[in-house]
Amino acid sequence: MATRINESTLADEATFIAAEGLQRRSLLRLAISGGTLATLGPLANAQSGSPKRGGTLVIGADADPIGLDPVTLTAYSSYDFTALLYTGLFRWNADMKVELDLAAGYIAPNETTYIIRLRQGVKFHNGQDFTAEDVKHTFDRILDPASASPSATLFSGIKAVTVIDPFTVKFELKAPSATFLSYLATNPNGVIVPRGVADLKTKPVGTGPFVFESYEPNQQFTLKANPNYYEDKQPYLNTVVFKFFKDQASISSALRSKAIDMTWFKDPKVSAQIVKSSPDLASAPGKTSRTFPVWMSMKAKPFNDVRVRRALSLATDRKACLQTVLGGSGKVGAMVPESQVGGYDGVGPMPYYKTDVVAAKKLLAQAGYANGIDLGDYIVVAANALDVQCAQVLQQQWAAAGIKVNIKPMETAPLIGLWLKGDFGLLSIALSWSPDPDAIVSRLLSTGSQGKGIGMADAPLDKLIEDARAILDNTKRAAAYQQIQKHIADQAYILQIYQYPLRWEAWRKYVKGYVPLAANIRTFVRTTWLDK
Amino acid sequence: MRRLVLIRLAWMLPILLGVSVVAFVLMRALPGDFAQASAGTTELAPEALNIIRRDMGLDRPVWEQYLRWLGKLLKGDFGDSFTTHKPVLGELLPRLAVTAELTLIAGLMAMAMGASSGLASARWRGRTDWLVRGINGLFLAVPNFVVATLIVLLAGLYFPEVGIFNYTPFLTDPLGNLGSMLLPAFSLALAVSVTISENTRAAVLEVSSQDFVMVARAKGLRPSTILWQYLVRNALTPIITVTGLQLASLLGGSILIETIFTIPGMGQYLFDAVSGRNYPVVQAIVLVAATIVLLVNVLVDVAYARVDARVSYE
Amino acid sequence: MSERQRLGGGNAMMSVGLLMLASLVAITLFGTLIAPYNPSETSADSLAGPTAAHWLGTDSIGRDLLSRLIVGGRTTLLITFVAVTLAVCCGLVLGLFCGYVGGLADQVVMRILDVVFAFPVFLLAIAVVAALGPSVPNLILTIAIVYTPRLARVVRGPVLSVKRWDHVEAARSVGVSEFNIATRHVLPLIVSPVLVETSLTLAQTIFTITALSFLGLGPPPPDPNWGAMLSEARQFMELAPLAVIGPAAAIVFATLTFIVLANGLRERLDVASR
Repeated sequence: MATRINESTLADEATFIAAEGLQRRSLLRLAISGGTLATLGPLANAQSGSPKRGGTLVIGADADPIGLDPVTLTAYSSYDFTALLYTGLFRWNADMKVELDLAAGYIAPNETTYIIRLRQGVKFHNGQDFTAEDVKHTFDRILDPASASPSATLFSGIKAVTVIDPFTVKFELKAPSATFLSYLATNPNGVIVPRGVADLKTKPVGTGPFVFESYEPNQQFTLKANPNYYEDKQPYLNTVVFKFFKDQASISSALRSKAIDMTWFKDPKVSAQIVKSSPDLASAPGKTSRTFPVWMSMKAKPFNDVRVRRALSLATDRKACLQTVLGGSGKVGAMVPESQVGGYDGVGPMPYYKTDVVAAKKLLAQAGYANGIDLGDYIVVAANALDVQCAQVLQQQWAAAGIKVNIKPMETAPLIGLWLKGDFGLLSIALSWSPDPDAIVSRLLSTGSQGKGIGMADAPLDKLIEDARAILDNTKRAAAYQQIQKHIADQAYILQIYQYPLRWEAWRKYVKGYVPLAANIRTFVRTTWLDK
Repeated sequence: MRRLVLIRLAWMLPILLGVSVVAFVLMRALPGDFAQASAGTTELAPEALNIIRRDMGLDRPVWEQYLRWLGKLLKGDFGDSFTTHKPVLGELLPRLAVTAELTLIAGLMAMAMGASSGLASARWRGRTDWLVRGINGLFLAVPNFVVATLIVLLAGLYFPEVGIFNYTPFLTDPLGNLGSMLLPAFSLALAVSVTISENTRAAVLEVSSQDFVMVARAKGLRPSTILWQYLVRNALTPIITVTGLQLASLLGGSILIETIFTIPGMGQYLFDAVSGRNYPVVQAIVLVAATIVLLVNVLVDVAYARVDARVSYE
Repeated sequence: MSERQRLGGGNAMMSVGLLMLASLVAITLFGTLIAPYNPSETSADSLAGPTAAHWLGTDSIGRDLLSRLIVGGRTTLLITFVAVTLAVCCGLVLGLFCGYVGGLADQVVMRILDVVFAFPVFLLAIAVVAALGPSVPNLILTIAIVYTPRLARVVRGPVLSVKRWDHVEAARSVGVSEFNIATRHVLPLIVSPVLVETSLTLAQTIFTITALSFLGLGPPPPDPNWGAMLSEARQFMELAPLAVIGPAAAIVFATLTFIVLANGLRERLDVASR
């Protein structure tokens, strides 16, 4: 909990000054309180200042939700809404550490068992009581193949979920897993849904700080504060409204004309421009949460030759990409982003990261391509402007080493189909934030469907990955992932270019108490209040 | 004449059928299907994708899907949107209304601008004439989305505090709604106003050289009265024709303008549906749009036939 | 007096139009030679204003705007010229066939064309490009498919009306061959409306292509094209207004060329037909 320093005094000052206007006496008080506030400056941005209750927060969103049932939804655009409607047993705090939420406490008698004690007196939005039965129901649904739940793979390590009593639940895992609590803390994968309620897709009912009010497709989505929310005094806002905009240009305009109070941008250059042009806009630097990778399918020539892959890595100038595409707002990336356990900090040495066009050409010559090589189609997601930009920058860089590629922007749906099957030569798709580094590196397991698709066959790497999954000590785990990343970079199984936040958030300065998460979900709207 | 119209109307049914088949096939020719599109970047196991497909009836053979759709259509049911699971008709009609409102306002603006500039040009020849025709040429050359983008640019540079993307529904706030439609309608109106202007000018010129004006004047009638009467009779046909043609190219112009000004009309709805592979929505929009286009074409042909009696339509 | 005014005006417009057309053709043929930079050459100097090095500034990833405009024009105009030529050829053949042969064949073909007609131009273009993929040959094909029916209709009209003219009937009754009738009487009548319609179609094609590229369905990167440049620039409008004004002006210039040509042709041919 943030330190509360003289909160009531500050509140009184504020109301007094507001009510009396600027008369001589209050001018004096203004000077005094001005001084006090100044010294409290840094804290004032955090949780200090007495939160004012009420008001409507208007958030600009760039995509409509597709389905609001956390067990079945797949669209990232729905996360904005499920983050406020539902809560889970655990959640992420501002420092990206797991903390208790619907769980009041837990014990782990052995490495594969978790006994979780639940909060009491919690009600769902429809008045139903929250009990252990709902927890069991949620995970039964997730693991039921008929649900086609995307969370099923995350929780495939669960052997059994048992209800001990109305407020105690036991989870038994098949093997020790360091990822389990992280996955439980992830919204929407680990959130709890009420039993006996059908059609959550269009009529969501959860335990979250806000209740679903109305939704007009392409227009707006309205949420009202949950009067029974279990966190003391939260949420402060009365209403949260999401307004939908088609593109970045209209979002910027809406933010500048105060039609919306808060939003996030896909392009850091746009975000920087907006904040620069308006003195009353604040923005967050954003913790890096995703990377931009160039996948290669190594089933056939020339990508099955490690020299070609290493040459590609040497021909890449990652720093230049970072500068040109992101305006420097991010870091050089490796497999795991910095905000995760064992993430790469962007500066440490990585094999074949140092740009060297001469060495690249030499490697290519050794592989038999002394006169350059045509690597065919480089497929990118057409809708992601940053990806397309970076691809063009890379194309230029590689051309200097005699490597020719043909950029092919594609719609997301067919692209994913090709990616999962490994039916491509070069392909880039930036993944959203993942709750645990295991989910990221597991894609390169030669036993996984994706790994098989791209022709992975590195047994020692497989063992490293599987072992790292079970290391419960964070320091040891971090070291393991560092080793894994170095190995991947050394073999150049995949080229990682830079790491960056999913979005760059910007908001009006009167929006207080909001903390952007590296997980890129707006759960901290529950602690947000409006100072106006 | 009447027979001609009836025949054309009768032909509409098979043509619309053909249109719906083509749309059906084209949508399925697009790479990737709804299941993949809705999954986005989240990966789903192939079994999960198949479950989605089964729920949506996409695992049946294409001809069976088409017949089912047709069957429902004949009962007046356009199906449910894949993404919102709500009836398509219920989502389509308000958006159609929005696009129609936009087009109507644009048409009125175009008529006002065009008629007045055409009148001015014909009344006060010489410099005014050259000026108006020059400006007309320029208006015609600027595509409506370029106009829209330039408007947004100017607004952003010089009036950043003014919200131009504040669409509000008509029923919530009529004045605000009309205000938010002004700039987009203007972008659409410019090009249309040119044709109206030219036609008005031509009609007025023709009138002023007629003898009957002198006769009417001799009779004591004011030339402006005759002008208006003649105009109403002769210039109106081409004006309506042109505005009608604009209605037909409704979807074409509106997608771009609606995208730039973020207005929830049919154009945006269509574009999203195509990207999201939302088949029922696309089918419904194509059908509605094609119907409008065909009706307008019939009207235009009727108007042309009245003008040139020598053209024979077997 | 008005006729003389018309004559003078028509000639001036034709000359101006031809001049503009010449510059467009020059860009199409020599674009890559004229451009000062490689249009795909990126640099960290993004969204710079106009400088001596970059006359119109740079785009979001540091590429020279002027070069991109010139080479982008090349792509856009190439597609336009080729596609419209294709559409005119197909339209001519179809229109002549339908108008001349008449009867059931005419009705059938026209109804099929009606199906294409019923699709709003834009929607059809979007669907075809999305299905086939946005490459230059596919775009040419799409434009040709979309505009052939309109040209066919323009050709068919005069052919239908000419067939019934008295002196044509007279010629036929005297025994003049159909072929001679076609070339002597029908063809000259088609020339003017087809020419005018072609210029209008050229103007519309510029619109359609730039609009498609604006929506992201144009030639893929890194090939520059005006529509995509305009769309991209919207995000950074305040930082680099030239990135919007450049493509906008280019699009307007190209469209204006064909409209001026169309008007000039109309005037010229109107006078000629008197």
